[in-house]
Amino acid sequence: MSDPLPTELRHAIEARRDRLGPLASRIVYFETTGSTNDVAASLASADRLEASPTDVEGLVVIADAQTAGRGRRGRTWFSPPGAGLYVSVVLRPGRARESVERAIALLTISAGVALAEAVERVTGLSPAIKWPNDLLVERRKLAGILAEGVASPGSGALHAVVLGFGLNVMSAAYPPELSTIVTSLDSELGRGVDRAEVCAEALASLAERYRDLLDARYDAILDAWRARAFGSRGAKVEWDTPAGVRTGVTEGVDAMGALLVRTGEGLERIVAGEVRWGLHAARY
Amino acid sequence: MDLDQLKQILDLVREHELTQFEVEQDGLRLKIKKDASGAFVPVMSHVNAAPVAQVAAPLAAPAMAPAAPAAVPPAAAADVDIELAVVKSPIVGTFYRAAEPGAPPFAEVGTTVKKGQVLCIIEAMKLMNEIDSEYDGEIVNVYVENGQPVQYGERLFAIRTK
Repeated sequence: MSDPLPTELRHAIEARRDRLGPLASRIVYFETTGSTNDVAASLASADRLEASPTDVEGLVVIADAQTAGRGRRGRTWFSPPGAGLYVSVVLRPGRARESVERAIALLTISAGVALAEAVERVTGLSPAIKWPNDLLVERRKLAGILAEGVASPGSGALHAVVLGFGLNVMSAAYPPELSTIVTSLDSELGRGVDRAEVCAEALASLAERYRDLLDARYDAILDAWRARAFGSRGAKVEWDTPAGVRTGVTEGVDAMGALLVRTGEGLERIVAGEVRWGLHAARY
Repeated sequence: MDLDQLKQILDLVREHELTQFEVEQDGLRLKIKKDASGAFVPVMSHVNAAPVAQVAAPLAAPAMAPAAPAAVPPAAAADVDIELAVVKSPIVGTFYRAAEPGAPPFAEVGTTVKKGQVLCIIEAMKLMNEIDSEYDGEIVNVYVENGQPVQYGERLFAIRTK
């Protein structure tokens, strides 16, 4: 069972209604849930099987706390009550006006940009982006994004994407032993931050970048991403492959958002997995 | 078809853990089926059908090279009493057989799957794409190892359809 949306959050979202488009037309709020991505995915899957499906595009699931918050490949996303943002949004990049494949590839890139812009608009902090979409402040992780596809029955085509993000608002959002690699808005600013404002602005910024994506303004998205992703050029990186660890120097991203890395053998194009930046890479 | 070729085909069938296999070359048809004990029983016969009709199922020399695990007869071939469907990757990305490290694989050889059931995850640009089965049937082969990069159109699973 969902819970009523807290008043201050409802007001903060309503104040941005003209920027939200289809986003947040339906909001499901929980004081505590397992994982907002799981709730959103089950709502989106249930929808696709209906005879006359309601449109799940823009459905938002928000939780004050998660008991089974997830990161990439089964990692835990620490989600205690009142300390962070735990939000999942159902998007349909397949509706892009042209080059749907590119829209799908750039969806999580767009989301990283949007989240960084929201943080900057509300707090003045300017987060960097680590490929493809982690938000960092002085090399420490502020926010992460986990996107999961929901396939269409039969065709196997992508029906919708559940895009979840976790953002540390207070330092209580993560275990103290992680403070060398993780940070929060209040520890960076040295003051408290209005969580409802950050949440509503994140949704509004996401709606705007999602609109760019559907209207095929891909270059605008990539330009905004490059301006924040300092380590995507000329930085030493390493990544795991089934054949072992490989290293190289970044040479930017291509039109599909893939990370280009120069190695001894040539130019590698990385589309998945985790890339680690060397300690001396600029700004990371 | 000489003995070497026959041996090659048997090795290929074994390597890809197929339980049934059929190939046709120069009007000669070879059927291989596992019997109750699990041993392979090859059966050769001459084909009377016009060779042109068999062009749709080209399983001549190139398919026998071990480097090309393409030796799965298309399900559309005429008078085939089994049907194998091949699930291919719809995208470029990294192939994962389980929801997370340490979790049991979604599907293994021998697993009975239903249409719509998740077979694997392919990660691309940090989007986790669940790949669903388009068929009811049994997994007879998994072509890719966990954590490997896959290309567009690369074979992932062979399913004996029901």
